[in-house]
Amino acid sequence: MSGDADLVAIIRTVDLTKRFEDVAAVDNLNLSIEDGEIFGLLGPNGAGKTTTVLMLSTVIKPTNGTAFVGDFDVRKNPNDVRKLIGICFQEPKLLWVSTPWDVLNWHAKVCGLATEERKRRVKQVLNDVNMWEARRKSVHGLSGGMRKRVEIAKVLIQRPKIAFVDEPTAQIDVIGKHKIWNMIRQLRDEGSTIILATNELYEADVLSDRVGIMHKGGLLVCDTPRTLKDSIPGGDIVEIHLEKEATDKVLEELKSLKEISDIAEINPKSLRVYLNNVEEVVPQIMKAFLKRNLPILSIKMSEPSLDDVFVHYTGLTIEEAQQKMIKGEADG
Amino acid sequence: MMGIFHIIEYDFRNFFRYKWWLAGLISMNLADLFVMAIVYNKMVDPELARQIMGYFSFFAPGVTILGLFASAFMIGREVNMEVRREIHYYMLSLPLSRIELALGRLLAGGLRGMMYMSPLLLTTFAFLGIPSPFQLLIILAALFLLAMGISGLSIAIAVSTSSFEKFVTARGLVYYVLFFCSTIFYPLSLIQSLGEEGIMPQPLVTLAAINPLSNGADIIRSFLLGIPAFTLDMVMNLALFSALFATTAIFAYMKIIQRT
Repeated sequence: MSGDADLVAIIRTVDLTKRFEDVAAVDNLNLSIEDGEIFGLLGPNGAGKTTTVLMLSTVIKPTNGTAFVGDFDVRKNPNDVRKLIGICFQEPKLLWVSTPWDVLNWHAKVCGLATEERKRRVKQVLNDVNMWEARRKSVHGLSGGMRKRVEIAKVLIQRPKIAFVDEPTAQIDVIGKHKIWNMIRQLRDEGSTIILATNELYEADVLSDRVGIMHKGGLLVCDTPRTLKDSIPGGDIVEIHLEKEATDKVLEELKSLKEISDIAEINPKSLRVYLNNVEEVVPQIMKAFLKRNLPILSIKMSEPSLDDVFVHYTGLTIEEAQQKMIKGEADG
Repeated sequence: MMGIFHIIEYDFRNFFRYKWWLAGLISMNLADLFVMAIVYNKMVDPELARQIMGYFSFFAPGVTILGLFASAFMIGREVNMEVRREIHYYMLSLPLSRIELALGRLLAGGLRGMMYMSPLLLTTFAFLGIPSPFQLLIILAALFLLAMGISGLSIAIAVSTSSFEKFVTARGLVYYVLFFCSTIFYPLSLIQSLGEEGIMPQPLVTLAAINPLSNGADIIRSFLLGIPAFTLDMVMNLALFSALFATTAIFAYMKIIQRT
């Protein structure tokens, strides 16, 4: 489950567990996050992502096991851990009597930024997240999206060694999402390690260097989005429409390719091929048809999503898992 | 150490965002003094009024303590609100040690009480006379101890109560017990005589005697009015109250808040 041994782990959990009465919110989590990567913690609501983030940031104590953040044990050296981290919480943590300027200025001060640098960064980030005009408004009067922008701004101003961002673009419009994704990438490029907790598949896919998929408090699988998607046997799908009917010989040749797991005939002139490594295999497929004088009219390719990866490991889509979790909570 | 100052700054900023509400509260306290106390001055038994140097003079230190208590207790309301809205997660994630965080909240609560109380204390001095520098020092030290104890008490209640309703109920109980079983409104001699007559239950008489609010008000009276006589026990009692609740608050804040 962990990353390559020669890469430097900046976070390492050892049987990390958090129980709330009889329920294990996080159950024996063993995971390794490398220095300088964006690590996506993906899973439905209730999977244990936020609880993991809260334990790694020393906000709550583990019931069992431990975690090492930087060189420090979250149980033994929580004060040292907190000097390395910054958090963008899932629900913005803003006192309703404050203004965005006051919230961010005070946050930057506590994080040790000198006066001039602090003012410069607060101004710059407020501009970057389109909150400069609203900087003197009470946070009580801000929309959910604006509050979330202030929340992410805390981390962007702080530029911590390790940044936890919990659903950073929830309630934010599409243009804002892309802007924040770019700012998160920039934070990574400037040397921060980012732990992105999200239930948005696309966000995890486009932003993460590696993804750990969580379900029911445990880690199902962990790797790069590409590798995870390729790990589903026959995960890629290619639909081929031919000018003539496909012959048995060409079908046999295709089936002999190790990346192809199955071929379904939609009709004699249309095939659906289930395979892996679609980019590498499609040229071979085309070559096989052209060699036998079977012209291709069209090719349609589709890749598996991280949702397909989740389905592969759990038998449920993330949405189904989420609904199951809500139903479980409602049933008590 | 810097972390403590940051937390104090945070709590003072929050305090002054309620500036109009605070101005309203101070006005109400002054109205208590200039309306209620002057009216009561005419209502109380002339012999008792003579003993206590007039009800206005007697009540002025009491109203100062009332203001100190109410404002120092406000920190508990904010801590409770933070816990309910999970803002304490943010506080716990900051690069501060738990002891800095807890001490900062405690000191901020106490210092805010001192600041709120100062116009009331100055009003008391204006009408009852200015104490000597040494007496002023003792008064301020005693009031600071009292403010810290109240701040600690409110924080301990705030983190121990899971809902706002429970917090408000506990706060109301503490207000009534400490306000009315004290010498804020009436002298201890009167309470004791009511106890001897069987009108006031004896435990309440004892509570009024050891109540830190009684000690706070009586220390001011002893220097400005000469009654009751100042004793070191008054300060020791306040120090004990302050130490007890400050320690409880720090322990509760550090331990309970991380479990929520």
